[in-house]
Amino acid sequence: MKIRTTKYVIKDGVLNTYRNKLMSFASIIIITASILVFGIFLLISINISSQTDKALEKQSVIEVFCDANLDDKQIQDLEVELRKNTNVLNMKKVTREEAFNRLKEILGENKKALEGYDGSFLPVSFIVKIKDPNQMKSVVDSFETIKGVEYIGFLEKDVAFLTSVARWARIICLILIIILLSVSVFIISNTIKITVFARRREISIMKYIGATDWFIRLPFAVEGIIIGFVGASISFVITYLLYGVMDNQFNKGVFGDGFRLVDINSVIYYVIASYCCIGMVVGGIGSAISIRKYLHV
Amino acid sequence: MVKFENVSKKYSNGTEALKGVNLRIGKGDFVFFIGQSGSGKSTLIKLIMKEEETTEGEVIVNGFNVSSMERKEIPFLRRSLGIVFQDFRLLPGKTVYENVAFAMQITEALPKEIRRRVPMVLSLVGLSKKADAFPNQLSGGEQQRVALARAIVNNPYILVADEPTGNLDPETSWGIMKLLDEINQMGTTVIVATHEKSIVDTMKKRVIALDRGVIMRDQEKGLYEDEDTNNKIRN
Repeated sequence: MKIRTTKYVIKDGVLNTYRNKLMSFASIIIITASILVFGIFLLISINISSQTDKALEKQSVIEVFCDANLDDKQIQDLEVELRKNTNVLNMKKVTREEAFNRLKEILGENKKALEGYDGSFLPVSFIVKIKDPNQMKSVVDSFETIKGVEYIGFLEKDVAFLTSVARWARIICLILIIILLSVSVFIISNTIKITVFARRREISIMKYIGATDWFIRLPFAVEGIIIGFVGASISFVITYLLYGVMDNQFNKGVFGDGFRLVDINSVIYYVIASYCCIGMVVGGIGSAISIRKYLHV
Repeated sequence: MVKFENVSKKYSNGTEALKGVNLRIGKGDFVFFIGQSGSGKSTLIKLIMKEEETTEGEVIVNGFNVSSMERKEIPFLRRSLGIVFQDFRLLPGKTVYENVAFAMQITEALPKEIRRRVPMVLSLVGLSKKADAFPNQLSGGEQQRVALARAIVNNPYILVADEPTGNLDPETSWGIMKLLDEINQMGTTVIVATHEKSIVDTMKKRVIALDRGVIMRDQEKGLYEDEDTNNKIRN
């Protein structure tokens, strides 16, 4: 296609969007509403995922207790061995003295029971943070095989439960997102179909004059992209403002302490990309496909 | 320019619109297709512009074998024709200027050429002052003149008009017919399907009379009615 034809196609698409104001406006409203419903759910999903991840992260710590009889050299070797595991995010050594102080704290008023003792009877331990909470069991299994490891402390049941909750939350969110996405695509493509149907006579006239299918199709695709883009932009602005209001309320503790929304700025590109994709791609491709059956004249 | 060889057309509802039609139209001819409603004159036009497929026979238009051409070739056939319809078929969202320019834009004509040709043809059909108007702001006659301007802007070899005066009052109809005559005198072959007796009788051009899908008469400088043909039809 020549440059002048490309220019014409874009200009014609823009002009037609403006001249078919009523239809364009109606389409934009419907697209905005569809994307908005999808977007709100997308953000709810992102927040659910984030909350379960945070909860899991808190539980993704294990404590590896060494054999109390190990000497410093053996403990050092054990530390090196533990660090070799690629799932280890970081590690903190708890010396006998620190362990003793911790025990005293735990015993509280009963710490008198420790009088006359020092920490030498306590084992050295390592507090290990795991990168991926889902890998916790395999890390524990591999640590258990290392010589000198006496015991590994971790909340197995809590981690298993949280992992399961997180997995199901993700699956349910994903299914709902796919359903809502399909509904949005269906509504948007039908809106575009109605717009095209209203102008089927125009399409047939163009064919009678001798226009090729693509010459007719492209300005319609440009119109679809413009309408989709405007709808996506309005949806984004509404989402952004609504999310800001909600975030503010959460920060004030209106919905209880400890629950904070994910910062919109951290997912902004993700939201913009999904909105634009739905609006522009469905608008553009939908238009180009919808006119197909009116081209056979 | 146009050749029909043993052309038959049967619609899916069983109607036989044309039966073994043979005809030739040469360069620069002015031809009327006449006949009652259902005689097959509009079907002839539709076959020329490939709006319908032939059931049998061969149609050649401007060197295109219309009967066997592929779908992707149709736009190129139609660009070689100028087509005028009874219901004008203007693009409602485009101005008069844009409607005419559109016919050139689809051929990827240079913008400079479009700016030169469009005002020229609008002037020829007397619509220079209405260039920025939209079709719904024009009278029927004016709309048909826009359709004519659009049909001739690419200098087609053949101009095909299906009942071009069907929706117009007699005075406006005459204006359109005069324009068609002028276009013909510039060398364009003009084919008009009509059932308006006064126009055919006054213009005295070649007349091809059809009845129930059969050519009953092909006469140079013919009239709408002919005693011999009438007798044949009656018998």
